[in-house]
Amino acid sequence: MSPPPALAVRLGPLELPNPILTASGTFGYGLEFAHLARLERLGGLVTKGLSREPLAGNPPPRIAETRGGVLNSIGLQNIGIESFLADVLPGLTDLPGKVIVNLFGYELDDYPRLAERVEPCAGVAAVELNVSCPNVKRGGIEFGHDPEVLERLVAAVRGATSKPVIVKLSPNVARPWELGEAAKAGGADILSAINTLLGMSIDPWTRRPRLHTGRGGLSGPAIRPVAVRVVYDVARRVGLPVIGIGGIETVDDVVEFLLAGASAVQVGTALFRDPRTAERLVDGLAERLAALGLERVGDLVGAVRPWEEA
Amino acid sequence: MVARDGEARVVAVVARPLPYYTIELEVGAEYAAVEPGQFVMIETRHGLEPYLRRAFSVHDVALGDSGTRIELLGKIVGRGTAALAAARPGERLALLGPLGRPFSPPAAGPLALVAGGVGSAPLLLDLRRALARGVRVDLFYGGRSAADLPRFDDFRALVETAGGEAIATTEDGSAGRRGLVTEPLAERLARGDYRALHACGPMGLLARLAELAAAHGVAAEGALETEMGCGFGACLGCAVPHVSGRYALCCKEGPVFRLDEVRW
Ligand SMILES: Cc1cc2nc3c(=O)[nH]c(=O)nc-3n(C[C@H](O)[C@H](O)[C@H](O)COP(=O)(O)O)c2cc1C
Ligand code: FES
Repeated sequence: MSPPPALAVRLGPLELPNPILTASGTFGYGLEFAHLARLERLGGLVTKGLSREPLAGNPPPRIAETRGGVLNSIGLQNIGIESFLADVLPGLTDLPGKVIVNLFGYELDDYPRLAERVEPCAGVAAVELNVSCPNVKRGGIEFGHDPEVLERLVAAVRGATSKPVIVKLSPNVARPWELGEAAKAGGADILSAINTLLGMSIDPWTRRPRLHTGRGGLSGPAIRPVAVRVVYDVARRVGLPVIGIGGIETVDDVVEFLLAGASAVQVGTALFRDPRTAERLVDGLAERLAALGLERVGDLVGAVRPWEEA
Repeated sequence: MVARDGEARVVAVVARPLPYYTIELEVGAEYAAVEPGQFVMIETRHGLEPYLRRAFSVHDVALGDSGTRIELLGKIVGRGTAALAAARPGERLALLGPLGRPFSPPAAGPLALVAGGVGSAPLLLDLRRALARGVRVDLFYGGRSAADLPRFDDFRALVETAGGEAIATTEDGSAGRRGLVTEPLAERLARGDYRALHACGPMGLLARLAELAAAHGVAAEGALETEMGCGFGACLGCAVPHVSGRYALCCKEGPVFRLDEVRW
């Protein structure tokens, strides 16, 4: 018998016990679900987006189901970085998986300040920057939509922390790899892709948008092909390790993202319909590797076969 | 009690009459301790759709030789509720629950129960509990027309055996008194008939009840229905405006709120 396949992966400076993480905003701060999911099976856990001050979020309705997906406009409701570090983080430190804090702000300077704040926290393995936020100083253009601003933002964070820096890319741009290149130039270690797709839905009877804010972010299986395309393009062109995100629910989906070039994945919306999705994928991936006769997750990464073999 | 993610076996689906239906489910023993107002998230999908589970109040519970059974009361309004109504006996559906904060046991009666249409779902268990404690209960049950008072006769039989009154109202006058359910209720509140009020129905109804209860100094609670992505606190989708200015989560802090806690 050959030994069971090794699930551990390394993404630049970040080592994970397995490549299955939970996505930001889809699993709270983790602790709430200790009775519903086996957190100790996760490769890592990405927190709900945290800002310098707590935020109340958007008025309801904030969530609406669409075909194969979910539209949301939660509005980045969160308890704020201080409360997270004081009240939540201590409860997460016993997990074998890595705790990654997702950070966002409305001014460029918010990002390095948040990174500085978590720098001394041993329980934080990496920071993930949510740059799909309006830049108030720039008329509301998202940080992640402007390569120049993004490079400066990442460089400022790089200067504030020695922890691995993950930049989460928006799919709502024509050439996502240009933003990936900007993040790399600023000193990012890892890219994650994708954040939600901008969408909208209107109730034909009430004539009201289904979300109070009108527009919102689309997630779930409906966005998976878009996410696979972005991961494929970014992984090939930028040359940083990529974490794939978008509509992942089954082992086939995980393998699809690995083949496209992702070194790890995050599971989001699927957790709403089944809080144990992530741990099932950990077991399922191990079985799949064994069935394929592969020893390492890395054997699948970027292994998509072109139609025209060289 | 801690919610568990398990499986339910469909026993039967009964038209009450359509578009209303109840679905009877064989569930885990933890449901023996379910409290009035608590809810479940149940898988409704046939094939791939709909993607998310749906929230249903626990309508009734029965402990028998064959284990614990619960009933859910639904109305076919969309893909999820239609798929659930089409479930076959023997089918297994993922079920998360019991979830949420229940109605508080009324400290003192008489208790007014107020239902708007399918909002009667959580009130059956609440009625049973109040009657078991010897609390006097009157029921006010409103709907658009006679077809929108699912199980009114069953409710009435229970209420009347305990000496209470069951009052139906319809907007078109096809059953009971013509008008809104708040009208007969307001008359009785003005007479000082009730010490407590429990309600479930559309937000507009609950908002009006909040005013009435405040005006008459009656302790009032309502089970709110919001969109829910997960039911267990993960998505933050189920925001309810709270008087403190923040948003409360309907699935964790509710679904039952004191009506004076909510910013209407
Ligand atoms: C309800 C909800 C809240 C989210 N909140 C955040 C957030 O705070 N920060 C962030 O970077 N991404 C957030 N996301 C995006 C997810 O992390 C993920 O990128 C996206 O949902 C796509 O993955 P999925 O299809 O598996 O859900 C949120 C998504 C959802 C559905
Ligand atoms: S329904 Fe998801 S947090 Fe309440």
